[in-house]
Amino acid sequence: MPDKDGQVGTSPKRRGLRHHARSTLPRLLRFAIEQLLLLPLGVIIALAWVNAAPESYYRFTFSIAFLVNDVGIAFFFALITKEVVEATIPNGVLHPLRRALLPVVASLGATAVPALLHVRIVESLDEPMLTIGWRVALASDLAIGFFFARIIFGRHPAVPFLLLLGIACNALGFVMVALFDPAHDIRLVNGVLMLVAALAIAAVLRRQRVRSFWPYVLIAGVASWVGMYWSGVHPALALVPIIPFLPHAARDPGFFVDARPGARDALSQFELWWRYPAQVALFFFGLVNAGVPMGALEPGTWGLPLALLVGRPLGLFAGAGLGLALGFHLPHRVGWRELTIIGFVAAMGLSVGLFFAAAILPPGQLRSELSMGVLLSLAGAPLAFIGAWLMGIGRFSNERQQR
Amino acid sequence: MRTVGRALVCVLFVVATAPGTLLGQAQRALPNRSGSVKFAAIGDNGTGEQPQYEIADQMSGLHKVFPFDLVIMLGDNMYGGQQPADFVKKFEMPYAALLSAGVKFQASLGNHDRDENVLYKPFNMNGQRYYSYTRNNVRFFALDSTRMDDKQVAWIDTSLARATEDWKICYFHHPLYSNADRHGASVDLRVRLEPIFVKHGVDVVFSGHDHVYERLKPQKGIYYFVSGAAGQLRRGNMSPAEQTAAYFDQDQSFMVVEIAGSEMYFEAVSRTGRIVDAGTITRQAKAAAAGSPPPEPAGSRR
Repeated sequence: MPDKDGQVGTSPKRRGLRHHARSTLPRLLRFAIEQLLLLPLGVIIALAWVNAAPESYYRFTFSIAFLVNDVGIAFFFALITKEVVEATIPNGVLHPLRRALLPVVASLGATAVPALLHVRIVESLDEPMLTIGWRVALASDLAIGFFFARIIFGRHPAVPFLLLLGIACNALGFVMVALFDPAHDIRLVNGVLMLVAALAIAAVLRRQRVRSFWPYVLIAGVASWVGMYWSGVHPALALVPIIPFLPHAARDPGFFVDARPGARDALSQFELWWRYPAQVALFFFGLVNAGVPMGALEPGTWGLPLALLVGRPLGLFAGAGLGLALGFHLPHRVGWRELTIIGFVAAMGLSVGLFFAAAILPPGQLRSELSMGVLLSLAGAPLAFIGAWLMGIGRFSNERQQR
Repeated sequence: MRTVGRALVCVLFVVATAPGTLLGQAQRALPNRSGSVKFAAIGDNGTGEQPQYEIADQMSGLHKVFPFDLVIMLGDNMYGGQQPADFVKKFEMPYAALLSAGVKFQASLGNHDRDENVLYKPFNMNGQRYYSYTRNNVRFFALDSTRMDDKQVAWIDTSLARATEDWKICYFHHPLYSNADRHGASVDLRVRLEPIFVKHGVDVVFSGHDHVYERLKPQKGIYYFVSGAAGQLRRGNMSPAEQTAAYFDQDQSFMVVEIAGSEMYFEAVSRTGRIVDAGTITRQAKAAAAGSPPPEPAGSRR
């Protein structure tokens, strides 16, 4: 529980040290350390372990897979949801909501084109069973995308556009996975009733102005988890419908901006408490889901990264074109060159891509090929840098270099 | 003249013991008894190319003297296009003689097959990705190793527990043990399936995926065969290990098997009709088998 300063579970000395360390690091570097290190570390360990001692790797990861993929990662998705919820309040990138309309329309193209391309490529590479991976082609990693977009663009309207696009792509992906890949035998009526009960509990807690996040998580969250499990929806999303009920601050501090240590609202307290445990869950998520034995790979592995790296920018053009035709406007200083770079950055699907692959396929050759495809989609980062350099945009623009 | 003869013997010896071949031609193992269960096994066959047709011709020829009535298909039954014309070219034409003789094909799916192939009548899958059937005292279990989900794992566990037949034979595409370089063993599958196979006393497992023939030494009391070269071939791809009992990676091949009582006789036959491995497996009560190593089949290299 938070102390009088709003800090959660830390001594004043530790808090002081942490505050000192945090204040001396540039914000983006701090973001990288806190958000982007543990998942890739888990991925690297998984790749090394599975190819050196596969039997022990599988015995260990199979034993913790349920705990990680169905429980632990729920807190990561909860934190992402928290960012989205805050984005809808004043000062947020989703406030007012009509700002999101063009990225939402653009996401239709940015998801449909890579999905269709993936199907065509794996068919032509004679791996028809991999066509199921079109859901994975919908994913976009928000944290990693934000990191590289900030390096390339700095404080440019392209960054919130990318975030909105990523949120919309992932939302479509989650809907598709829920529709096409029920997790197991469904008990729909029981599941829906339990979900409704979970939402009702969360609403009552909100109405009673409960300011601690724990009842939301432990009562409504657990009920939501059971409801989703019974409904066949992946229970890792259990906290997604609950988080919007948590009382939040009046203004959004910004996307991926840490909550103030003294913040008293339940949503900020939730972030302060779960920020690091969620990163640990992400580490184990990478460890459990990214173990790809090289012998399992077939040419079809190239289908997903090619579809994402080619299809996402092309689909973004098509989707943005549709949005413009419908009368929406691109943000100021965002044109086709910026859209190209946004497309490459949004092609990277690390965390959400691995999640979709694990949600739709059991361990085995097909999941290995898709997981490796997700990892290869990280080539979007160097492509974005090269593209930005060639086109002279963002940090590579003449105007900025002259300054 | 004697020198020439010695040279000829030396040449023949070198050829016979070259990597990837077996030490001499294995002896015919099939007793061809009436009333026994006779079947053939083919994997990775559906190329529609000449080697597949030549293997099919060997199967047809053998069928005349060894009338097997079942062919188990170990996956990748179709490569490339899978339109109706492809099923004619890659299945119905090569195996026309066997099909017209009433031989029943029972398929399992590989990673190059399409989901909807479970509906193709001559594969006899009845729309199921995994299923089971019997022949006399043998129960066969065809699995879908490309998507081994929890439901299928629970199914095989339950089905094996209920099986009362003397012999339990499983077949699927990805091998639990393999010493071919290209793919090798599917260890993730092994971790999930092997404990179930051991618990329920599975006797023999057939797989494909690696385009070679390999017979493994019994692993935890179970005999494993990789037979993935009935159309495709990855020549010289084997790196035999301690667990390899015999292998052949120089030409396409298929297997024929006969089960009579507690004996299983098998042969691996090449595209040219050469028997490249043969032997007999004696099914033992599982409790006894743990203490006594199974007999080494004839024709083995090790």
